[in-house]
Amino acid sequence: MQEKDNTRRKVLIGLTSAVGLSGIPFAATPFIAAWNPSAKAKAAGASVKLDVSKMQYGQQIQVAWRKQPVFVIRHTKESLQSLEVTLPKLADPDSNQIDEPYKGINPTRSKSAEYTVIAGVCTHLGCSPKYHPEVEPKPWDASWAGGFFCPCHGSMFDMVGRVYKGVLHQPTCLYRLIFLKGQSLLLVKMEGRLR
Amino acid sequence: MSIKNNFKKGLNIRNLIIFSTFIFCINNISAAEGGPCKDYGECDEFKYSLNDMASLQRGASTFLNYCYGCHSLQYSRWGRVATDLQIPEELFFENLVFDKSIKPGDLMTGSMSKEKSAQWFGVAPPDLTLVSRVRGDDWIYSYLRAYYEDSSKQYGVNNLVYPGTAMPNVLVALQGNQKLVCKDIPVIANNGGEKRDELGKTITKEKCGYLKVEESSGELTKDEFDELIYDLTNFLVYVGEPAKATRERMGWYVIFYFLIFTALSALLYREYHKDYH
Amino acid sequence: MSEMVGKLFGWVNSRLPIANTFERHLSKHPVPSKVNFWYLFGALASVVLIIQIVSGIWLIMPYSNTEEEAFSSIEYIMRDVDYGWVIRYMHTTGASMFFAVVYLHMFRGLLYGSYQKPKELVWIFGCAIYLAMMAEGFLGYVLPYGQMSYWGAQVIISLFGAIPYIGESLELWVRGDYYISGITVSRFFALHVVALPLVLIALVFLHLVALHEVGAGNPEGVDIEEYLDDDGVPLDSVPFFPYKVLNALVGIGVFMTVFAIIMFFFPEGGGYFIEMANFEEANPLVTPEHIAPVWYYSPYYAMLRAVPDKLGGLIVMGSAVAILFVVPWLDRSKVASIRYKGIYSKIALAFFGISFLTLGYLGTVGVTEVRKTMSVICTVIYFAFFLLMPFYTKYEKTKEVPKRL
Repeated sequence: MQEKDNTRRKVLIGLTSAVGLSGIPFAATPFIAAWNPSAKAKAAGASVKLDVSKMQYGQQIQVAWRKQPVFVIRHTKESLQSLEVTLPKLADPDSNQIDEPYKGINPTRSKSAEYTVIAGVCTHLGCSPKYHPEVEPKPWDASWAGGFFCPCHGSMFDMVGRVYKGVLHQPTCLYRLIFLKGQSLLLVKMEGRLR
Repeated sequence: MSIKNNFKKGLNIRNLIIFSTFIFCINNISAAEGGPCKDYGECDEFKYSLNDMASLQRGASTFLNYCYGCHSLQYSRWGRVATDLQIPEELFFENLVFDKSIKPGDLMTGSMSKEKSAQWFGVAPPDLTLVSRVRGDDWIYSYLRAYYEDSSKQYGVNNLVYPGTAMPNVLVALQGNQKLVCKDIPVIANNGGEKRDELGKTITKEKCGYLKVEESSGELTKDEFDELIYDLTNFLVYVGEPAKATRERMGWYVIFYFLIFTALSALLYREYHKDYH
Repeated sequence: MSEMVGKLFGWVNSRLPIANTFERHLSKHPVPSKVNFWYLFGALASVVLIIQIVSGIWLIMPYSNTEEEAFSSIEYIMRDVDYGWVIRYMHTTGASMFFAVVYLHMFRGLLYGSYQKPKELVWIFGCAIYLAMMAEGFLGYVLPYGQMSYWGAQVIISLFGAIPYIGESLELWVRGDYYISGITVSRFFALHVVALPLVLIALVFLHLVALHEVGAGNPEGVDIEEYLDDDGVPLDSVPFFPYKVLNALVGIGVFMTVFAIIMFFFPEGGGYFIEMANFEEANPLVTPEHIAPVWYYSPYYAMLRAVPDKLGGLIVMGSAVAILFVVPWLDRSKVASIRYKGIYSKIALAFFGISFLTLGYLGTVGVTEVRKTMSVICTVIYFAFFLLMPFYTKYEKTKEVPKRL
């Protein structure tokens, strides 16, 4: 009798505990989920739609995305060819140290053969580099063939954002590029944050 | 069963006296008050159906075409409406979003400036996101169908549910011209039957205040218009609380869980109760 | 492995009396062996307190306590925050359930004389908790800044203005502004979120410690300490753990089922838990048709409206709560439980219950002549229950209380 009672007790304790404990993850779900980015955050951080069909060749425009500046550059054929010239000045010419999703596909480091989309943030200490596409001697480089110069500490980047040897160690961040409706619209997507 | 025993114990004279006195007091103290639907009488009953996507979609379309010009839905987001109503986002934005600069994550802040509309109408058309929770769905369904011609008013219309409303009858082209008419109503005798005169004809009395739509003055029939308003009200119920359908669905599972838990813990308690009884 | 755990436990236990406390207050703490469902509401009240604290903390995160954003932050919670609506409804349902449970808990006290010696202090702490809860509920309801938040606050704060001499300055001081504004909201926010919860937790702790010091009562009003076994443990008792814990678990199961039904299917409670007017943002220029407090204040609101004079109404309302504190000294009966009290006590308690419920109903509806008269009658009955208690409890014929449970 004692034995039977004990088993019944054990079973009941087990069942009740199991049912009780199984409810905990469900009860916890709303509290954990409430910390996810809300619809407001998602809206503010949503993809940016940009019409780049009217951009001039050689022009750089800047858009804000998730409170960061993003540079969009429409390259001329000449500036793309000049990339070869600046190659020896680069710290990492073969892009071995970073994650290059479009390596070998396009010289623009993006999905498009014409446009480059990069984070307008210098990977040294966060200033915004300036676009200098002119091929002429500059105070920071006598044989300047076009690119970006960061005024804060003198970091230099080529026309597609790869870093020169010197102050910096990494090229600027890169964003994946998606085209909508032919060539007119550009959608900047959120992936592609590099280390 | 200890619960049944407790219930039986509670079923004593004292409690019965308390309970019946309470009911008696309530019935006697309750006085008829001016209800929310004012001159319309009792609001028409409205039953929402938030799982009827077709109805919600039609309601959304009606709202965006006829109401959004003046009324904002400032707590609701465009993309969410498309998702919740199962409308493909491209279709939604192409057909129902008339301002092309709007992004899916944006709030539905309305197309009319509040300051200007306050100037034009005397009072800015209120935001309608929560109207179904402030006024009730019965009220909205009745209000939108209770407009009638009234030449003494600014826009030529008045509303039985909201007398003196500052809102014009936006849907008049669909409903047609509704008027207040008088009808001959049979007089009811004390025993509940109709009163008749010596010749056996029913005695009638004229009673006014009935709503009647002029024949063929609107694009829709009465039934079609009622359905349109049903869908529109349904949509407003959705917009008032988008989580409502989810909430009710989830509720069944939660209650079921707690019933199981209660049953098991009752068994466990009784098992241990044997120790001291 | 278990030896290591044992050693670790021993180390902690010699520095913090865990084992001893567990035995004294849980596993070996004697509680009366025969109680009924009325004795579950205390445990349920602590469950609701925990629910309110947890859901409350999570609501603070997305809430904005400024005049401009308070109302829209609530809609933000309801729509944009994942499962925000669950947490919001948990908190509003919890508020109403808190009062429902506490009212039933207090009624148990009146039924079974739980306030009699030596539990007077338990009762007093309890009344203090009730007072703190009423303040907490009022402050919390202002935070969504809907029409009823604003106008309810307007009415209640204007009551302060009824106090002679200092009234108007007091009103201004409480509001922090010439009218209810964001300043009022943000200070109410601090009180609702930090100050009063701390007070409540402290009072609940004192309430439980005082209870454990003298021991819980029972529906018979028997003193279980009179008959002890050889170890000094009362014969009519069982250890709290596991017996009463399991009992409480059933109660919690039933309670949570009711909670879930309300939360998922009737969160607005027909307009009594979340009033319809509160879905409209506060507008100082438009007064709602009916200004009514949430249901749990409605008995006192009815009393307030029954008295024509503002200060008089405030005094009556205040006295109605204050008189609760002195019940241990109003009850002169030799007997604790209603089961053994005389016929007068039974009639008095019945009338008290009916009048309180009627006042509750009257507080929710508009004023008419008939209803005003009813409110006056019920208020008189309410006070008569307490003021006549020293007489009818002393002179009525009581039944003999059994010695054992």
